[in-house]
Amino acid sequence: METIAVVDFYQTFATWWLIPFCVILFTGVLCPAMGTVLITHKRLLQVNLISHCVLPGLALAIALGAPPSIGGVISGLLGAIAAEGLTNKKNENYEAIMNTILAGSLGLGVLLVPLLGIRIDLESVLFGDLLTANFGDLLRTLISSLAFIGLMFFAYPKLVHIGLDPEGAVESGIKVPFLNLALGLTTALVIVSSMSAIGVILVIALLSAPALIGLQKAPSLWVAMARSSILGLIVSLLGFLLAIVFNMSPGPLVAVLCILLIGILPSKRKN
Amino acid sequence: MANLVAENLSYSYLAEGQVALDKVSVEIIAGTMTALVGPNGAGKSTLLSLLKGHHKPDKGEITIDGNPLRNSRSQVALMPQRGRLNWNFPITVEGLVSLGRVKYAKSTCCELEAALQRVGISALAKRRLDSLSGGQQQRALLAKTLMTPAKIFLLDEPCAALDPPAREDFLLLMRQLADAGASVFISSHDWGTSLNAYDKVVALDKTVLASGTPEVVKEKLDSISCMHGNYCCG
Repeated sequence: METIAVVDFYQTFATWWLIPFCVILFTGVLCPAMGTVLITHKRLLQVNLISHCVLPGLALAIALGAPPSIGGVISGLLGAIAAEGLTNKKNENYEAIMNTILAGSLGLGVLLVPLLGIRIDLESVLFGDLLTANFGDLLRTLISSLAFIGLMFFAYPKLVHIGLDPEGAVESGIKVPFLNLALGLTTALVIVSSMSAIGVILVIALLSAPALIGLQKAPSLWVAMARSSILGLIVSLLGFLLAIVFNMSPGPLVAVLCILLIGILPSKRKN
Repeated sequence: MANLVAENLSYSYLAEGQVALDKVSVEIIAGTMTALVGPNGAGKSTLLSLLKGHHKPDKGEITIDGNPLRNSRSQVALMPQRGRLNWNFPITVEGLVSLGRVKYAKSTCCELEAALQRVGISALAKRRLDSLSGGQQQRALLAKTLMTPAKIFLLDEPCAALDPPAREDFLLLMRQLADAGASVFISSHDWGTSLNAYDKVVALDKTVLASGTPEVVKEKLDSISCMHGNYCCG
């Protein structure tokens, strides 16, 4: 009886579109929610750094025979730590240094592939390859979703305080560096888990565009996250459907749809 | 009721190797409103930070009713400069005020309502912060500060960026707080006519230049050229 159930389950998930559909569903909800927190914490540049740092870790992990996603998360986390160090020192050349490191990390990743004699489909890592997503990709997305939910459950008021008044949060005794590191780790997990859906480079679009709309007049962070997630879900599913209909790559399509989403953003003067 | 006394405070920023404060003594008495005036870089924010206990002075001592500050830190609340906050953060006035509660303990609606009423913005409770005027934002920030159990209130340039009517309203609010028994210490760039609203004034430029009633301090300042014209924003 149990064997039949397992076989049924396997056959259901073996339907070619079901796993990619589930992956884009979770990614479409998770990335904009994460992005909302990151935008309110003014950490998008750090996220870009993390996403560019993933590739060298992936390459090294494959060369060492370790799971690539773990390598990607570790190198992404190292990127987050580097970003955190630069932010804390309030270096006046912060942006220039950060951009150099992110470009350099991507370059290192690209160089490591031939140097280590490994095979990586760079295009699918950077720009996603949703239609070939497997159960491992779905599992990674679920794990990063759980990590994000856990972070929100245990640290939501503290994250609100840090986003609103970072110095005040430190003075109130909140362990800001620790929470920023936790945020960096969760971001690295989210980026690596989105690799198959949209790719580590294009994921920044799904992290940013729905969040920008969701944040408009939202009375609280969680309302903004919910709105962003709904928008992200719509954009992702639309991208997925269009990709199937027109036989195109879903990752770039979702990124282009995100540009269209920004078009509906009301112009706002900076205070 | 609580009195704060700071004696001979000295503080230097290690990174810059600069003396920020040199032998500064101040007394903040319960039920009074004291102004801390001085030019940019005079050490006003540094002094407030020391009085709150965020930094330890290199020399000197701070006591509250005779007890060391480290044992009574909860009696002091600091309202930061408005520029420190991310006013575009998605949060309502009541959300911001709730954050003032110590260790994020659940605030009862009565506490929240009382703090909002005290600063006269109950009607704005559900409004988002970035939809408020500068004066209303300052009041919201003050309501957050009032959620703490403190009796000594340090305010870092609360009137900066406020127009004169809003500034007067805010100072009136501060007066009510002092009349209710609180010790109020407000840093300001403004040493014009609005100094008359205070019981006592401390003029600072790394060290205390003058201290006393507004009239006494104004007289003393008139004889100190460095405080004139160039720095004066009042």
